[in-house]
Amino acid sequence: MFHRILVANRGEIALRVIRACRDLGVEVAVVYSEADRDAPYLKLADQAICIGPPLAAESYLKPARIIAAAEGANADAIHPGYGFLSENSAFASMCRENGFEFIGPPAEAMHKLGNKNEAKQLAREAKVPTVPGSDGLITSEAEAIAFANKVGYPVLIKASAGGGGRGMRVARNDSTLLAGLSSARAEAEAAFKDGSIYLEKYLDRPRHVEVQLLGDQHGNVIHLYERDCSLQRRHQKLVEESPAPNLPDKVREAMCAAAVRLAKTAGYYSAGTCEFLVDQEHNFYFIEVNARIQVEHPVTELVTGVDLIREQIRVAAGEKLRFKQSDIKVHGAAIEARINAEDPANDFRPSPGTIKTWRPPGGPGVRIDSHVVTGYRVPPNYDSMVAKLLVYQPTRAEAFAVMRRALREFVVEGIHTTIPIHQRIFEAPEFAAGNVDTTYIERTLMDKK
Amino acid sequence: MADVKRDAPRPFDVKTVEYLLRLMSDHDLSEVDLKEGDQRIRLRKGPLTPPAGYAPAPAIGSSAPVVVPTATPSPTASKLLEIKSELPGTFYTRPAPDKPEFVKVGSKVSPDTVVCYVSAMKLNNEVRAGVSGTIVEVVARNDEFVDYGTVLFRVDPS
Repeated sequence: MFHRILVANRGEIALRVIRACRDLGVEVAVVYSEADRDAPYLKLADQAICIGPPLAAESYLKPARIIAAAEGANADAIHPGYGFLSENSAFASMCRENGFEFIGPPAEAMHKLGNKNEAKQLAREAKVPTVPGSDGLITSEAEAIAFANKVGYPVLIKASAGGGGRGMRVARNDSTLLAGLSSARAEAEAAFKDGSIYLEKYLDRPRHVEVQLLGDQHGNVIHLYERDCSLQRRHQKLVEESPAPNLPDKVREAMCAAAVRLAKTAGYYSAGTCEFLVDQEHNFYFIEVNARIQVEHPVTELVTGVDLIREQIRVAAGEKLRFKQSDIKVHGAAIEARINAEDPANDFRPSPGTIKTWRPPGGPGVRIDSHVVTGYRVPPNYDSMVAKLLVYQPTRAEAFAVMRRALREFVVEGIHTTIPIHQRIFEAPEFAAGNVDTTYIERTLMDKK
Repeated sequence: MADVKRDAPRPFDVKTVEYLLRLMSDHDLSEVDLKEGDQRIRLRKGPLTPPAGYAPAPAIGSSAPVVVPTATPSPTASKLLEIKSELPGTFYTRPAPDKPEFVKVGSKVSPDTVVCYVSAMKLNNEVRAGVSGTIVEVVARNDEFVDYGTVLFRVDPS
């Protein structure tokens, strides 16, 4: 086991990793930027090292400074958390080359899975269904029409050089397809200097269901079942839950098995998540692998009883997985609400500032993962998440009741938070019935105030 | 940086004041504080104090300094400047164990003077003074780890 781990992150995930280290009896050091100088969790580490100014690009995103901090801390391993450098395969290699174990997957697996085309290739190799797409770029209108009629409308026109939702258009018939092609090309040429486009089947109102994976350095990979993360706004998750409601067991088993196959094919170990879209006929399609621990990992921890961060550290230290697949069972239901320092009444504008009162809920079935305390100043330089509010109960209905109770109890003064929007989400009958998809938030809750 | 020359005129001549102002501007100093016997002149750049040189020179024999009269006779040093680390790493005062130190207390530095290494990942990063003046204190300790922002040296800019 490691003697000392350097936490190369901030906020709630830094606190989470510090806690896991303490649970394992491992010493822990943590980096911070000048904007996080007064963060309360710094005092919980054995050592805190300032690595740069507030700008993330000059601090948390600087590999050399992180490694310098690991040297100064005499660490033997580095935990990257999520975001920042956690999916940067060059950083993962750099850590290991400098004698620090990177608590995450091997750099090559991370690199392959991080590349859209290579990931799709691996998925095909592992016999994991992917969203049907044109094999390569579309070079003629005839090709486009042929593809769309083969896979069935609607189809998505995507810019090859694009990303993050940019340069995408939906076409529902031949004429809108042709019109969309030329405008997509022009937009892509202007935005990315590359007008290449390709087509994909477009899934109407899909659900986002992801599978938690855990592998060791001895070739063992298991899954810890799934999470449904369909409630999203602008591709940012608001709520996650496990198990996915109204998902037939056969589909669940098939998806989880597919995820494990893909991980093994990629030579993956450590924690990771395999994301799928599920259509209304329960066909599932591979989207991508997040080669790191995720924000919503506690949802899985609550229903399976496995501490994912501790296990991540164990496998990084070379230990064999302590669980066989048959040891993993899901009991009850868990739901997470991400509490962000944003003003839902003003287009979710970030609301940094000093928190005058912070009174999180408690009691049976409630778990709060948060680095925030009364008097904490939320810095404007980073993402706006201030807490993860989780509930865990024997049934989904009881989990909803506890979540409503917990949201009512939660007092935050001094900044705006997304608590009000969650209160509406947890009153929504469609959500209670388990009938939501990735378009739900934008369709229903964004118009009303 | 050139010291105020020993053969410079007495502090309260207009010429001297002009000379000092030029010195301040050439070396980007914000404050100059000089004593001779019980006479003292202190010039400080900034909105609170108009440039001293444009006030009429006092009559000879007057003991009032041109600006910022101060009761304390003790030589309060000009505000000291700090050289802070721009990187986390190990602080080294010498380029190699058998070589002399980059700078010591009393060394004169200009902005480009290399004052130390802050090393990490087997790379020695040269740290330059960034200011002009005289090293009055080596704050960090050799072969010890420093953070971003740790004070390495204090410099008297006068």
